[in-house]
Amino acid sequence: MAEHKLLFEFAHESEFRTLHGYLARKGYEGLKKAIGMDRQAVIDEMKASGLRGRGGAGFPTWIKWNGIEKEKTKPHYLVCNADEGEPGTFKDKQLMEETPFLLIEGMTIAAHAVQADCGYIYIRGEFVDAAKSLRAAIDEAYQHGYLGKNILGSGLDFDLYLHMGAGSYECGEESALMSSLMGERGMPRLKFPHAPLPTVAGLWDHPTIINNVETYACAPSIIKNGGEWYATLGASTKNSRGTKIFSVSGHVNKPGNFEIEFGTSLMELLELAGGMQGELKMCVPGGSSVPMINAEDCQKAIIGYEEMGEVGSMVGSGGCMFFNEHTCIVSFTWRTAQFYALESCGKCTPCREGTKWMLQILDRIVRGNGQPGDMDLLMSITKQIDGRSFCGLGDAAAWPVAGAIKKFPHEFEYFIQHGRSMVDTPEARALAPRLHQRAFSSV
Amino acid sequence: MSELIQVGASRPKAPAPDQLELRFSAKAISELAALRTHYPDNKSCILPGLWIAQREYGGYLSPEAIAEVAHRLGHSYAEVEGVATFYSMYTTAHAPGRHMIEVCTCLSCHMCGAYRIVDYLEETLGIGLGETTADGMFTIHEVECLDACDRAPVLQVGDQYIGPVDTSAIDALLNKLRGETNSTVVQLADSIVQVHLRDTEKA
Repeated sequence: MAEHKLLFEFAHESEFRTLHGYLARKGYEGLKKAIGMDRQAVIDEMKASGLRGRGGAGFPTWIKWNGIEKEKTKPHYLVCNADEGEPGTFKDKQLMEETPFLLIEGMTIAAHAVQADCGYIYIRGEFVDAAKSLRAAIDEAYQHGYLGKNILGSGLDFDLYLHMGAGSYECGEESALMSSLMGERGMPRLKFPHAPLPTVAGLWDHPTIINNVETYACAPSIIKNGGEWYATLGASTKNSRGTKIFSVSGHVNKPGNFEIEFGTSLMELLELAGGMQGELKMCVPGGSSVPMINAEDCQKAIIGYEEMGEVGSMVGSGGCMFFNEHTCIVSFTWRTAQFYALESCGKCTPCREGTKWMLQILDRIVRGNGQPGDMDLLMSITKQIDGRSFCGLGDAAAWPVAGAIKKFPHEFEYFIQHGRSMVDTPEARALAPRLHQRAFSSV
Repeated sequence: MSELIQVGASRPKAPAPDQLELRFSAKAISELAALRTHYPDNKSCILPGLWIAQREYGGYLSPEAIAEVAHRLGHSYAEVEGVATFYSMYTTAHAPGRHMIEVCTCLSCHMCGAYRIVDYLEETLGIGLGETTADGMFTIHEVECLDACDRAPVLQVGDQYIGPVDTSAIDALLNKLRGETNSTVVQLADSIVQVHLRDTEKA
């Protein structure tokens, strides 16, 4: 199966970043159609499309849009989560750089559907190029009446602002992102059912919709072509519709973003990325937070929200990393643990302490000082973190460690018992940090 | 325990309120005024306000810089300092060099040789991670995923991503940066401030 380019159809044409070029390629047809439709009809099209959130959780988009009060009693806000930070993922960056108007049009359609007055795109601080591209596009949209007051004479008023982050993975979590947008430390808030949903009380306690870049970017083609048409894509899967962009990296010949239809196999995705450099050993299919799968499961894996569950992993945000035989799983897991230990915001004790404990234990293992029982200790910590923090960061820190120990227990056993890596190749040694070199030197 | 995790690193003290010297330029003041119109609550201006301060104070959020943001936005020093120290892109520990080289060593970059890039930078510049060369030219850091895994191993200098890099690319980069008189650290902060503002709002 080849790529199926819906969002990326014109991505490589630089003209597509200008309003003129966008309009010449049937841009804004979705919005023009949407503003002639009843607000509920727009939401119904989203429902028919079967679109699920592309940020990682896969929550049905229409349910969020439908959850906003229909009789407006106060201002409504729209937020775009462009704080892409999941290791392995780089799709939103390319979407913002190369297809900025898809995002702006998608957000304007959403603004119409949920009666939002104003929207914020929260972009991670490092993504200056993406922000510049969006800045130019937003300015142009304002100049030509596609943003601001009375958009296209429809009576819709919608202002769109860019807000830059400043370096925090946690801000990709929706409640932490809203905290950050409100000028606070990026820490999460209590979730439903213990607290109201953002659609009831989000930004400044007002009804708020928050979606990922890719999710909004899907809206123009759904409205233009109809939800039913969109739902024909990925129809071979249980409940995943449309296309999904996967960011493929690691030991592949042609790393990059690939847009595929749900139902494509993981091995086809690997082929699109030019195949392996070396022999496939392991894959992290949906960003660092999802459990890794071994080569055997890769052969069986079909890309779909439910289908990936059958091989014990998830679609996640689509950050798909393939690694070859020189990859030391223990070293990889250590680096994953360091990421979560550094990025835990510190609010909830199980995550704040647990991520550091996991790192401490993995750190002694990769330095050749592992203790008998360390694997059990790690597993017990993952169980104590999982499900015990306000947001998903704790779970996301626990799953990859638990997944690695389950899929590659022999590598951990060997490392702890012998004080060095089972992957004894010059290539593996060349990848290890200096402090871990002792555990990678040949005897 | 990883050397990267420092618990309770000491913070410089806040300046006394009567010692506060305001340093924001006229441009910075008008930018902050424009930003206030973007949000119903000016607390949201703290993050962009800190970006302005990081530019105005030469790439370093000193206690004076934090105090100026707090003063101009009407929030307490503690609140603004709390925000500034939470985010990794704000430089609050000590003044950085003119160019900050941030090497991603996260998953894909790790597995594509990022630690050799770190080693090479440390050897070539004679400093460790988090340190600045004696001439004040370079600071090097290890950072978490930059989300450019297709370019692994990748690094960031100012608002530019560079990758995939090898040792010869590092040599070329260092030579280029040595000839660069403007601070890429300040330039990054300025780029970030500018993208917040519409063309009609720019000074």
